[in-house]
Amino acid sequence: MKPQSVKKVVIAGGGTAGWITAAALSQQLGPLLEITLIESEQIGTVGVGEATFPTVLSFHRLLGLDEREFLRVTRGSIKLGISFENWARRGDRYIHSFGVIGRSTWLGDFHHFWLAAKQSGFAGELGDCCFELQAAQAHKFFTSEKSKINYAYHFDAALYARYLRARSEAKGVKHVEGKIVRVIQHPDTGFIQSLVLESGQRIDGDFFIDCTGFRAVLIEQTLKAGYEEWSRWLRNDRAIALQTDYPLDDIPPYTRAIAHQSGWQWKIPLQHRQGTGHVYSTAYTTDEEARRVLMDNLEGDIRVELQLLKFRPGRRRSAWVKNCVAVGLSSGFIEPLESTSIHLIQSGVARLLRMFPFCGYSEALVREYNKESQIEYERIRDFIILHYKATERDDTPYWRDCRDMDVPDTLASRLDLFRETGLIFPDPKDLFRVESWLQVLTGQRVQPTAYHHMPHMLSSEELRTMLETLSTNIRAAVAKMPTHKEFLHQYCSVEQGDTVAQ
Amino acid sequence: MNRDVRRVVIAGGGTAGWVAAAALAHQLHGLIDIVLVESDEIGTVGVGESTIPPIRAFHRIIQIDEQHFMRSSSATFKLGISFEGWRNGSDRYIHAFGILGKSPWACQFHHFWLDGLRRGIRSKIGDYCLEFKAALENKFATSPQSKINYAYHLEAAVYAKFLRKFSERFGVKRVEGKIKNVEQHAESGFIEALVLESGERIDGDFFIDCTGFRGLLIEQTLRTGYEDWAHWLICDRAVALQTELVGPAVPYTRSIAHEAGWRWRIPLQHRMGNGLVYCSRYMSDDQAIDKLLGAVEGAAIKEPRVIRFKPGHRRRVWNKNVVALGLASGFIEPLESTSIHLVITGVSRLIRLFPFGGVTQPLIDHYNKEARNEIEKIRDFIILHYHVTERDDSEFWREYRNMKVPDTLACRIDAFRERAHVWRDSNELFGEDSWIQVMVGQGIEPKRYHHLPRVMSDHDLRRLLADIKHAIAREVEQMPKHHEFVNRYCGTGHASADVSRQSVPPAI
Repeated sequence: MKPQSVKKVVIAGGGTAGWITAAALSQQLGPLLEITLIESEQIGTVGVGEATFPTVLSFHRLLGLDEREFLRVTRGSIKLGISFENWARRGDRYIHSFGVIGRSTWLGDFHHFWLAAKQSGFAGELGDCCFELQAAQAHKFFTSEKSKINYAYHFDAALYARYLRARSEAKGVKHVEGKIVRVIQHPDTGFIQSLVLESGQRIDGDFFIDCTGFRAVLIEQTLKAGYEEWSRWLRNDRAIALQTDYPLDDIPPYTRAIAHQSGWQWKIPLQHRQGTGHVYSTAYTTDEEARRVLMDNLEGDIRVELQLLKFRPGRRRSAWVKNCVAVGLSSGFIEPLESTSIHLIQSGVARLLRMFPFCGYSEALVREYNKESQIEYERIRDFIILHYKATERDDTPYWRDCRDMDVPDTLASRLDLFRETGLIFPDPKDLFRVESWLQVLTGQRVQPTAYHHMPHMLSSEELRTMLETLSTNIRAAVAKMPTHKEFLHQYCSVEQGDTVAQ
Repeated sequence: MNRDVRRVVIAGGGTAGWVAAAALAHQLHGLIDIVLVESDEIGTVGVGESTIPPIRAFHRIIQIDEQHFMRSSSATFKLGISFEGWRNGSDRYIHAFGILGKSPWACQFHHFWLDGLRRGIRSKIGDYCLEFKAALENKFATSPQSKINYAYHLEAAVYAKFLRKFSERFGVKRVEGKIKNVEQHAESGFIEALVLESGERIDGDFFIDCTGFRGLLIEQTLRTGYEDWAHWLICDRAVALQTELVGPAVPYTRSIAHEAGWRWRIPLQHRMGNGLVYCSRYMSDDQAIDKLLGAVEGAAIKEPRVIRFKPGHRRRVWNKNVVALGLASGFIEPLESTSIHLVITGVSRLIRLFPFGGVTQPLIDHYNKEARNEIEKIRDFIILHYHVTERDDSEFWREYRNMKVPDTLACRIDAFRERAHVWRDSNELFGEDSWIQVMVGQGIEPKRYHHLPRVMSDHDLRRLLADIKHAIAREVEQMPKHHEFVNRYCGTGHASADVSRQSVPPAI
């Protein structure tokens, strides 16, 4: 067997992408690699990626993070889901929570029972049968070894990066401050050999990870991987972000996504402040107008104002080219409507760990990595497009175009299947499971015209009792929980901790 | 035309028809009426006698008691398949149903095994698999607490009868008769009724075609079309024969390669199922029969019958108001015992997608997409056994070695050869441990592999491997012999076999 020829790994770029990569590589493969991370304080990081998806919990186990310490250091809070407001119609509100709905059987998913009950006129809300949704609505939260609740986090991305940096450096990752001005490639193969900084310093490497964000210095500017644009489906191309004081007495355990006339606004609660931002489309509105909308929808005083971000929704045609893998914004961009950015970073890093090219380039490996990455991006893209396509709004050209647009076949066939049969069949590797599709489809007012008949095996009485028992039990369990704010205070507030990472 | 589906007609009996009837009747009891039409005149193929573990989940769902089923079908246990002579003519490996070793998150177990080899810790991959070791020692035991993964050898015709009794208890109506005509709706082409030779007319809203290779509904009536895979799967004949059992039944199927195909041995409680699969371009029917008769032990119970088949798959298995199951949907040789499995997954899929309110295109499209995906992956796995061989002792093997295989398979072989990298696609039947066992068994030696094991010292790695190996060996030691367990657990009480005249497979 060949000796290990890939030993020096260079991560270009810091921020969440760079430091997540550094932390994971050093934790899992530390003894086998020499890892260097180059970042420049001159180049700001995007730093608005503040909400996450439940997969973050298992990723943190991989990194060996302690949850309480992590929440304390990053001033994080709990996320049970996302509250979508004004999406199908103005005034609408629904929650896409992280819970499962009812109990599904082999034969079919639970929601068919709910659809059958609805047809008979006694269903109640779908969310009555979902524990996480009820807890979110009541602003409650609790977790322990014995209690099974599915959740994710909100956290301050800059504090998170700093926290991971401290851990990475403790595991031997070398940090170099500087701006990359030149990339040296091998004259024949085109493989990257080293990066030259503004100071003249030269960093050699065997393998490179591009975390340079939208600029994609290595994967695009040097290796010309190519970019596939998705603007015909995803119209938004700008965002402005702010941080305000947290004005309310109560901390909701969910992100809010509020649709406006030509875009949407997020509100993310942390322990010490609120992050908010307006994502919009310059084809339908101006920067000034977008800023005004954001200012009109603030609570609390502005603490920090972040810069205007321009982006092109889409994905790098090849995430891995030669001896370089793109992680984070350099690999593609999907707006944070379902908080998928950090997930995509963590998923990409986990994939790289499993496929790490210790002995050099392998065509078969790279092809497989790129294929998995593509499928993952496309499936998430489809789920996001759904939120726009399935609208009844027609109050602005923006919404009319969303409602009328053509969508990818992969999404169209899922919509057709649900509309005609009430059936949802995500792929087992999909990030978004049946309950996610179900909550969003129902919340966006997509009505199936039929459903699976297995509920007819129960009498009307039995069906009614089943649903009532389920929702009563859920309500009782939620009533016993402390509030989200109490939980945070008790579990991981700054006053709790002995040390606070600065 | 597109009306509520209330009345389901299954055309054809055999394993396909009765598995479908049992599943539909048990799961959708009260929601649909089921009629099954079969003719005693038309024989069923009845050689599908080896199964794979998902059948146990199926039986649990339709609440079939294992001991009762095994006693009724003279079944034995199956821990895997012993492939003999596939790599170089005199080798042997087992594709067992178990997990290999213990895999940490970042890197699968086989990388640890490979690193062990590099460091001089010699062992076989099978040493780390409980089912493999148990099979080698002819041991078996199961209990509600046991984690051992297994399937069955069963007699297909008897199993079908067992399921027929089961289905009739749930209200399935059986009609004896041969189908003469199929009536279709004038405009839509949907099938309305089957007319039997007796003149009896069976009408229905939805039809399941279990008529075997003929595909009476899906092909002869609806002309759906067949995708031929003869360029990838060149065997096109089989001759099957049942003999008296000689020696105790072993807990695995044997697949023995020859110069134009392979031969199977499937042990039941009281007899042995034998068969020879071959390519008619390289071996004549007479040669095949002679070869099989020369290789079997024990007295023949019936005359050997030659079966012809065309490997491939129906272009669409759901067309209008017809779903094809079993041989009517396509054929892949029983090298990995997938035939009964495909009927089970096909009917399960139908139940989940059942067109209660009428047939709609999205249902059809989704069903067909899943079915196609499933069969192509299985096809690739079968081709693997042939293509990756060191044999060149006949034109047959040389043709397979030089074959251009599907890209989906080629990239898997490349990835394993280069990096010992293996994966399981969504909804794919064969998991990583299956791909690993077969690729290693067929002789692929990965050039490189994951380096994570190198963080372990020699001592620690040696300990890790030894601990797993010994734990397995201890567990196998505690187990009784397979045939003894079968006798106690579900024996049918037939005369036990003569131990002295048993053929022994080559040593591994």
